[in-house]
Amino acid sequence: MNISFILIDDSELDCFIAKKIIEQTIKPSSIKVFRNAKPALETIREKTADIGQIVVILLDLHMPLMSGFQFVEEFEKLPVEIQEKYKIIILSSTRNKNDIFRVLNYKNVSHFQEKPLTRENLLTMVDSLKKDVS
Amino acid sequence: MSEKIKILYVDDEPENLLGFKASFRFEYQILTAVNIPQALNCLDNHPDIKIVFCDQRMPVRNGVEFFEEIRISHPLPIRILITAYTDVESIIDAINRGNIFRYVKKPWNEADIISAIDEAYKYYMTNSMLIVKNEELEKAYTELNKFAYSVSHDIRGPLSGILGAINIAREIEDLDEMKEMLFLMEKSLKKLDTYIISMHDYYSIQRGELKITDIDFHKLVDELKTIYMVPAKTIGVTFNVDIKQAETFRSDEIPLMLILNNLVSNAFKYQDQHKKNKSVDVMISVENNLATIYVKDTGIGILGNHIGEIFNLFYRANYQEVGSGFGLYNVKNALLKLNGQIEVTSVMDQGTTFRVTIPSI
Repeated sequence: MNISFILIDDSELDCFIAKKIIEQTIKPSSIKVFRNAKPALETIREKTADIGQIVVILLDLHMPLMSGFQFVEEFEKLPVEIQEKYKIIILSSTRNKNDIFRVLNYKNVSHFQEKPLTRENLLTMVDSLKKDVS
Repeated sequence: MSEKIKILYVDDEPENLLGFKASFRFEYQILTAVNIPQALNCLDNHPDIKIVFCDQRMPVRNGVEFFEEIRISHPLPIRILITAYTDVESIIDAINRGNIFRYVKKPWNEADIISAIDEAYKYYMTNSMLIVKNEELEKAYTELNKFAYSVSHDIRGPLSGILGAINIAREIEDLDEMKEMLFLMEKSLKKLDTYIISMHDYYSIQRGELKITDIDFHKLVDELKTIYMVPAKTIGVTFNVDIKQAETFRSDEIPLMLILNNLVSNAFKYQDQHKKNKSVDVMISVENNLATIYVKDTGIGILGNHIGEIFNLFYRANYQEVGSGFGLYNVKNALLKLNGQIEVTSVMDQGTTFRVTIPSI
């Protein structure tokens, strides 16, 4: 199955790491990196993913201008056929129980992963996603 | 005591009011009212009334009923009932319903009144100090919560990034890629360091006492120049300063420098890399005991809907990861200490100008 990724994180280093890990661990069909959630949302709104492909959004929570929470709120307002093509995974360094609980309550958020991303937890995430889809 | 204690005396008999005023007007500032509406009006107009005396026996509503009302509407003044009655019922009533501090028996003698005022004043001061302390505590507590919350993002964030980088470093063979990552790691650590320094600044502004000295703005700006001239050159930004100071200016150097340093640092930080003519201008003029400081940049600007929030703790209006959300909050607090003002005007993609005015102390 083809998996592509959209990374949304304001930290340059975290984007670099996540990108490297993904490239080394699985061969994704594409990785797009956004340092700001707004243009990411625009891209998703305008270009729907190809049929039969899963797009995983790795989303940071605390970002200036548009936070991860705001991103998910806006995402859930998009047409259902767009929403269906994406799986949102939160990638954050937060330990705040309220934040984690709150964000997992959104129907499109399937998983919370604490930073830093490692090969092992990436593989676990991808495996459970594949099970979900099939 | 520099100012006389303000006292309100309420009694329906004008001669009692006159007598009271005559006896105490040298020691205290006495206001009087012959009925309850007048008394309420007086309390509204003088929020600094510290003690209210009221006669129990009044037409329409008695002293206890009056106190029962102002206990809610004007809770600060200390309530003292004057009564000729010695029946237990009315005293119990006065304490329970009017929540009075004391009662004075009629006819009163001066010594009783003076001792009642002394005690009531002490009580008032303790109470109002408690209120102030409570507000400070509440503010400190809210900020502590914000800190605790930001720790996971602003301290743990960079650290988990470094940790992640070390993890993947084992797999990286390419030297250039390694160098790129080291550069990003360095940036992350510098950001963490800035955060910790700002946290220290925050603490020293909040707790420190002012140390007023003569301020030479030329000297302060020379310090800024030594900090920023070299980095300014490397990123191709012209750094202009213009100082007009012909008179003495007195202020605290530490918060003053913190304000200048933060504004100038922001002016460099938020430059538009793609622009050709990049500049930071600092203009300072001291006139009629007032310093006016302009810090002007040709940077990326601040979106209109974010401008109201940039002085809030941990607020960031830009996705570049250089900001900690501390700087302008510290500037605002430093200005509060120095009695200064700040205004900001910004045009997207053209630049931002901060205008600061600080009076000489």
